[in-house]
Amino acid sequence: MDQFRELQESCPLKNQECPVIDELRRLKEDCKRLQELSQTDALTGYFNFRYLLSALEGEMERTQRTGLFTSLVMIDLDYFKQINDTYGHESGNKALQWSTDIWRENIRRIDIACRYGGEEFAIILPGTRLPRAVHVAERLRIALADSPVELDGELVRLTASFGVDVYKGRENLSAKAFIERTDRFVFEGKAKGRNCVCFEEKEIAVVPTGVTDEEKKALFNNPIGLKSERDNSKGFL
Amino acid sequence: MARMKTPVTLCVTSGKGGVGKTSIAVNLAFALVQKGQRVLVVDGDLGLANVDVLLRLSVQRTICDVLDSGADPLESVIYLEESLGILPASSGVPEMVTLGPEEQAQLGEVLTSIMSHFDYVLVDTAAGIGPSVLWFNRFVDHNIILLSPDPTSFTDAYALIKILSRDYDRDYFYVVFNLVSSEREGRQSYKILEGVVNKFLDVDIEYLGAIPQDKVIHKAVREQLPFVQQAPQSNAARAVFDLADRIRMLKEKQD
Repeated sequence: MDQFRELQESCPLKNQECPVIDELRRLKEDCKRLQELSQTDALTGYFNFRYLLSALEGEMERTQRTGLFTSLVMIDLDYFKQINDTYGHESGNKALQWSTDIWRENIRRIDIACRYGGEEFAIILPGTRLPRAVHVAERLRIALADSPVELDGELVRLTASFGVDVYKGRENLSAKAFIERTDRFVFEGKAKGRNCVCFEEKEIAVVPTGVTDEEKKALFNNPIGLKSERDNSKGFL
Repeated sequence: MARMKTPVTLCVTSGKGGVGKTSIAVNLAFALVQKGQRVLVVDGDLGLANVDVLLRLSVQRTICDVLDSGADPLESVIYLEESLGILPASSGVPEMVTLGPEEQAQLGEVLTSIMSHFDYVLVDTAAGIGPSVLWFNRFVDHNIILLSPDPTSFTDAYALIKILSRDYDRDYFYVVFNLVSSEREGRQSYKILEGVVNKFLDVDIEYLGAIPQDKVIHKAVREQLPFVQQAPQSNAARAVFDLADRIRMLKEKQD
């Protein structure tokens, strides 16, 4: 292994075969593997809950420092209990793997996909505004709904409910609180009939700098008339 | 016992460029100094400075140097008179236009650290509604919206008030009209703005005055000298002195 070559060459006796160095290398490899294991969910290969918390904290701190927004997408598989009850737990696991594999193909390399617990997932989208994040969530929703999985020889259509929210760094918020805030939109999606993406609509509906036509009309269609009052004979040039 | 006084902080801002922000800010500063006040003018156009140009200053250090290399902010202040300091900005430094939150916090600390040496801090903001413009508008106590009676200036000033009120919790604005043909035009233009603001926004605005078009302004800008000093009897200069008086009342209220 290349990364341990330095280790190999560090044998004081310059032996090619050195049992101590070999053992050391095995330990280092183990350590690296365990570190990966400690932050990965074994079933899906997504990051686990612990990693989600620390990564989200890091991204929110980055938002506070750089002003680049962090978006969060929370996902809950619909009717997962029924899948488990109908097709068994192995099929349930297969459904989880199937869904997470599809989503993995539909996010960027910089996005951080995590298993929140059970059949719930969280994807951190660094440097992403809400409309973009909603767009991504919509793409994930459609990708899953359009790809039925085979369970027990039967084609089953899986769907999920999505909640999306954004952190703009304006308020102090913990990673946990941000997750809970976003999770509310997942519940909203469940209540609305599932297989949908929910978010704070008014965050997107309002154009931040917009002066409306009505306001413009009021500014210019006034009884006095701005221009008429100007005495251009006094102007220079 | 003398108590530590905090200065009145104001910014002159407009949304639109070319309305005369720098000219009014600089002349207002001179007018306040003439009335015995200590004034710091901050060139808030961090990327395309022009206070220094307007005043023929030779700039050694700028806000940019203070933020980048930790130059002493007080030493960066150029004193034109004993009671008139200028904190210059840099020209042609695009990074300074998009101040991130960290730099904003740093800038806030820098300004706060030197403010206590003055009675008034007057920020001449950049045009537009970029991050630095919005930040300065939030940083100061009083926002002076400067506009000319042109439709584009009206729209931009209104848009700026709308953004600051809706996204940044500002709810009181002072309005000054520049380049008017008469005091009457200033008042009439203000009435229109007031009507629209009252109808659509939940903020209060207050008319602070109008500066007439005046040949002395153009002459002063070309000669890079303040017109309140060059032509103190001109209409424009007299209007600026009136403005200075009204602004001093803000300080009395604050103290």
